[in-house]
Amino acid sequence: MLLCDFHIHTRYSDGSVGLSRTIDLYGQAGFDVIAITDHVVNSDSLIGKLAHRFRLSVRQDNFEDYMRRIDSEAQRAWNKYGMLVIRGVEISKNYMSSDDSAHMLIVDIKKFIPAGWSYEKIFIEAKRQDALVVACHPHHVSDMSRETLYLWNNREKYARYIDAWEIANRDDVFNVISLKKYRYVANSDFHKPRHLYSWKTLLNCEKDVDSVKNCIRHNKGVAITLFRN
Amino acid sequence: MAIFWFFAALAAMGVLSCGLQLWSIRSYTKGRVSAAAGHLPPVSILKPLKGLDDNLFDNLESFCKLDYPEYEIIFALQDRNDLAFKVAEKIKRRYPDRGISIVVQRCEEGLNPKVNNLIPAYRKSKHEYILISDSNVCVRKEYLGQIMARMGEPGVGLVTNPVEGVGARSLGSVFENLHLNSFVMGGVCFLDKFMKMPCVIGKSMLLRKADLEAVGGLHGVKDVLAEDYMIGKKIAETGKKVVLCGFPVQTVNHYWSLKRFMNRHTRWGKLRWRIGGARYLTELFLNAVFMSAMPLVILGPSVRTLALALSACILKIAADFYTGETLGSRMNPLLYLLAPVKDMLIGFAWFVPLVSNTVVWRGNRYIIGRDSALSECPETGMAALIYHDSPEYREVNAK
Repeated sequence: MLLCDFHIHTRYSDGSVGLSRTIDLYGQAGFDVIAITDHVVNSDSLIGKLAHRFRLSVRQDNFEDYMRRIDSEAQRAWNKYGMLVIRGVEISKNYMSSDDSAHMLIVDIKKFIPAGWSYEKIFIEAKRQDALVVACHPHHVSDMSRETLYLWNNREKYARYIDAWEIANRDDVFNVISLKKYRYVANSDFHKPRHLYSWKTLLNCEKDVDSVKNCIRHNKGVAITLFRN
Repeated sequence: MAIFWFFAALAAMGVLSCGLQLWSIRSYTKGRVSAAAGHLPPVSILKPLKGLDDNLFDNLESFCKLDYPEYEIIFALQDRNDLAFKVAEKIKRRYPDRGISIVVQRCEEGLNPKVNNLIPAYRKSKHEYILISDSNVCVRKEYLGQIMARMGEPGVGLVTNPVEGVGARSLGSVFENLHLNSFVMGGVCFLDKFMKMPCVIGKSMLLRKADLEAVGGLHGVKDVLAEDYMIGKKIAETGKKVVLCGFPVQTVNHYWSLKRFMNRHTRWGKLRWRIGGARYLTELFLNAVFMSAMPLVILGPSVRTLALALSACILKIAADFYTGETLGSRMNPLLYLLAPVKDMLIGFAWFVPLVSNTVVWRGNRYIIGRDSALSECPETGMAALIYHDSPEYREVNAK
């Protein structure tokens, strides 16, 4: 089984650890597959504007640099640790109310997708890029400041666009995902080194990007594990 | 006034002891040995693994790159679900010709979890020379050749190395590395040089199976916490030399919390209290920063008390910085300013062993007795206090 984490932030957005060190943290811990998913934040709200003001978001102008750095680190991670690193972002639509806010991972992204676009447009563009769409922390979480309920509240409308839902995020488990029988993954939402020890995904597939995406989309050979020292 | 001069004298002694420790470290690092050109016998490297250490992949990999003709590496785990298992497997796959074995076997022969981990690995080892090496140790490729060169000297029964902490990226790690590189390394070198006391560090122990068996083998230390110290002590008692090698092995501490730092050093304090007895008292008196702060607390701030505390802090920072330079440490020089804060914390932690004899190590809780003998601590709180007074506890401590 491949030990995976598809929700990782670095200093490109609001993570506390740089990209290289993040890769090393996961490599030293024996991970097989990770996705770097820094925030791409909307700029049509006060919270979003602040995120851009304090450079806590990947932007269109540094997206290419972000991709290049990930590719270069991915090569190093593969050579040194045999660890697959996938390019990704977390599209973050942040508003004052958690009912209006939503975060979604776009794993294996190729071209920049602005967070200001409509949900449909984002999902269709992600599909066009053959990227994986994962709904992040979709239900109530222990840390209220991270709560994003929009996708869950509108699941009838958007579920068909979403490849998988986070059934567990860091320390929280969302049993509603199980009850709805949605496809699932579990991630750390890594921002600090201690977040390494959290819920993770196990995949029974080959260690390449297409196999990983297919495994999650079909949700066969997927398990979750609480990674604790 | 008498109080001031009493503590000033203790602080001066503390500074003097820092100087002596620094001298000891310098004399060891000056005498670095080169690899032996003669016979280099095959070695079994035993690596007990439990959980993820910082830098685990690199630590284990460094043992696969040793410049040494023949050796095997045995990774020993109690449980296949241990997080270190996956890392060990990756290393084994990466170096298929390195003679790596992974032994996963639950062994509950003793109370010391590290010894329990080592027993199956020891059984599997095929060479006469064994190197017991902790999982959080990272070495240079010349390491094994150099320590084997010392083993080849007449009458040597065990070779060990001091430990240098590197790679701090959190406050707890900075404190940990400052303490390892000053008090711990200085103490080990000082005891070896001036007191001729073997002070074996379990992070690196090279010895012969015959010598280990002669002192009771691993089973002889399965119920003590300081199995490294006890093995060294027993080997020294047989008349063989215990040698401290002239260069440190590195232990990488990236992201330690303050709690983990305090937990380790109260545990080690309890060990030294149980092994050293009254000698443990000198540790507090030789803590120059802590002693120099006492007049400030007792007599209140004045030019004299402030000057004493400040002088001790400056001298301690300078000594730790100089030690770091001697070791070639790459720590940010500004971080040495934290040395007095660390010494104050260590000063408070010194008192803990006097009132508590339970230790928590790798998730297990024990009561620690004379010579670090372990007994199970089934309960905490009041139940533990009752257990301390029980016949079985007294029996363990009477041994």
